[in-house]
Amino acid sequence: MASIQTTVLVGTPIRAGDGFESLLRVNSLIFNTFAYYLVFLLPAATLYRLVPASLRVWVISVFGSAFFLYFSYTMAGTWGALCLLIFLWESIISRLYGPRSGWCIFGILQSVTLLGIFKYWNFFTGLALFGRTNLIRWQGAFLPLGISFFTFEFYHYAWDRRQNKTEAGTLGEYLAFILFFPTMVAGPIKRYQDFLPKLRQKPTAWNLDWERGITRILTGLVKKFAVADLLTAWTDHLNVHDILIADRRVLILWGFAYGIKIYADFSGYSDIAIGSARLFGIRVPENFDWPYGRRNIQRFWQSWHISLTRWLIDYVYIPLGGSRVSTPRIYLNIIVVMLVSGLWHGAGINFVVWGLWHGLLLAGHRIWRGFMGNPSSNPVAIFSSRLLTFVLVNAGWPFFCMNMHTATLFYRRLIFG
Amino acid sequence: MLSRFRNTIEYLAGERDVRPPFLNGYIDLLLRCLVWGFAMLLIYTFSGQSSKFIYIDF
Repeated sequence: MASIQTTVLVGTPIRAGDGFESLLRVNSLIFNTFAYYLVFLLPAATLYRLVPASLRVWVISVFGSAFFLYFSYTMAGTWGALCLLIFLWESIISRLYGPRSGWCIFGILQSVTLLGIFKYWNFFTGLALFGRTNLIRWQGAFLPLGISFFTFEFYHYAWDRRQNKTEAGTLGEYLAFILFFPTMVAGPIKRYQDFLPKLRQKPTAWNLDWERGITRILTGLVKKFAVADLLTAWTDHLNVHDILIADRRVLILWGFAYGIKIYADFSGYSDIAIGSARLFGIRVPENFDWPYGRRNIQRFWQSWHISLTRWLIDYVYIPLGGSRVSTPRIYLNIIVVMLVSGLWHGAGINFVVWGLWHGLLLAGHRIWRGFMGNPSSNPVAIFSSRLLTFVLVNAGWPFFCMNMHTATLFYRRLIFG
Repeated sequence: MLSRFRNTIEYLAGERDVRPPFLNGYIDLLLRCLVWGFAMLLIYTFSGQSSKFIYIDF
């Protein structure tokens, strides 16, 4: 496609002149491969609209299973592909969930355990055995495709079934919910009670859905290719060697470049997921709402990775007592939620620090709001608060994109030269 | 003014279904065709440097 040779992060080079074959080969990229569109999305979305209503859930389930097998196998081999059994197991166990059922507790614990083993085993055992050899380290550890997202959907279903906030649906409907491949890998995190009516509804507005869906997919691909990937030329410098020799002003530029890149990358991904779902006639939750233009950190989090923020509010913040507890507990709850958010993003101290940073910002904003009352309507104050929020959010990204040692070095160089 | 701009961008990006009132039939069609054409041009131009989506590893 492009006339220069480049290398993708997964290590497979794409050479000039063999764009199509290369994109098929680099299939661990998923949404930016021809395989995703030609083998999975277009056939599944077309078939979904053509088959009788009773078969629609099975179209999603079969294509979702094939999608998981194909991309998991290419990313994590046979063991990765075998993780499809997790979905099948969960779908069987889910039939036992009911209001006030102990099986729901089992389902919740099962989701947490799955995530804990695959994502955090080496991290927590390493912390527990600090300074000593980790004899119980899982040498061949791998992350099943989309585990952070599908376990959150499992958790949500078990919790809401226990609270009687959602109906059970049929086995096919639940399988379609968890195996809906446009959102399987990286969200948006869906809710069963929102998804079910759309699944049961006959998709009618074929023209509108496909025109809007394809437009959304194209928007996502532009964000990814023309913005996020272009900024990689700067963000690739965020490593120990380059930080040591760079001018301090350049460090600021690289830091902000990462802030723009991650927004373009993830919102682009979400656009493609939402647009893909639209081809089925199914609308899934939005994930972004102009987050970098927000006036304060609270509004930022209401418009950044919205489906995750809502999940954390419903399943962590409110069960902790939310805002109905004493003032110190409210601040503690906010910080705990953001620490969970940080750890969810990755098993590393740097993610914990990133979460703590945002927890402190949110708590600080709440204190500030308590003193100052309603926000000012002065245009200068509005502009200043938007700018400050943007800078503070970007100040946290170094801990998100670099390990602790490199991020600390970044700030040491930035502050002390 | 700002919300009108925002609604137009969201409509042209496929996020919003409701057409902004000032976009009549022909201009709407022309703009949407231009958006598709420009988007495909950008994708074609920049796709060679493709890298993994950041959140796939989460």
